Amino acid sequence: MAATPPKVKITYCAECGYEPQTLDLVKALMLEFGSRVSSVELIPWDGGTFDVSVDGTLVHSMTRDGGFPTADAIKKAIRERLGP
Amino acid sequence: MTIDRSRFAQGLTYEAFKEQMTRNRDRFEENERRVAIGPADLAAFRELPRPVHVVALAEDWCGDVIANLPVLGQLAKESGKLDVRVFLRDQNDDLMQGYLNQGKFKSIPVFVFFDEAFKELGHWIERPASVTELRARRRAEIYAAHPEFGAPEAPIDQLPEDVRGRLQAEMQKMRDDTTAFANAEVVRELRELVTRVAA
Repeated sequence: MAATPPKVKITYCAECGYEPQTLDLVKALMLEFGSRVSSVELIPWDGGTFDVSVDGTLVHSMTRDGGFPTADAIKKAIRERLGP
Repeated sequence: MTIDRSRFAQGLTYEAFKEQMTRNRDRFEENERRVAIGPADLAAFRELPRPVHVVALAEDWCGDVIANLPVLGQLAKESGKLDVRVFLRDQNDDLMQGYLNQGKFKSIPVFVFFDEAFKELGHWIERPASVTELRARRRAEIYAAHPEFGAPEAPIDQLPEDVRGRLQAEMQKMRDDTTAFANAEVVRELRELVTRVAA
């Protein structure tokens, strides 16, 4: 369980036009968790990246896992950090 | 994919594509200014026996489009032999499906060359392999010279923000330093393709 609200970082390929998927995910997390996450950081990058980490743990990587994550998968990872 | 005269005419002219861009137009036009076409290359295009129709699949958010479509645009402008129409990838999926990179990726830009009867002559996708290889090598050299950047395959978000900023600056400088080579390679590959099939 996280002692403090988890930090979420989304690294997305700006050169690939991944902004819509990034914003959809951010919106889903904001509406689901509100202030129960301490921050959602967006990192524009390149090279086909779409990585999501929660408190430093990589929970989705486009390179490793393929494709975009579902919002539900990221929500599940955050809930596990938040605990019951 | 079916391209005929009627469908071709529905594409945007190169200038119309620029006019509808919602981002990166400054970078696009800067790249236009950086394209240098040598006399031999220009002559090869000018000496084509007849004009060639070119379908370009593009989007204004794509780095490879911003880098490479200006090369095609300048070749068309300076040679007078390439009749270019730009189709937005995400509004023309039927066209895109015919030119998937490795059969699965919607990589752009795609340039498809047609003769006067709209018989396809050949196509070109994304960027030259030589450019990908050079930049991968330079990228590896940057990581080797800067241990603070960590492993090349490590998630970027693990780097402190200031280090990430320095890495981003190094990568941008590397891309700038290799632009002249990249443009020359695009010209070389397009020249080889077009002169081989359209002569």
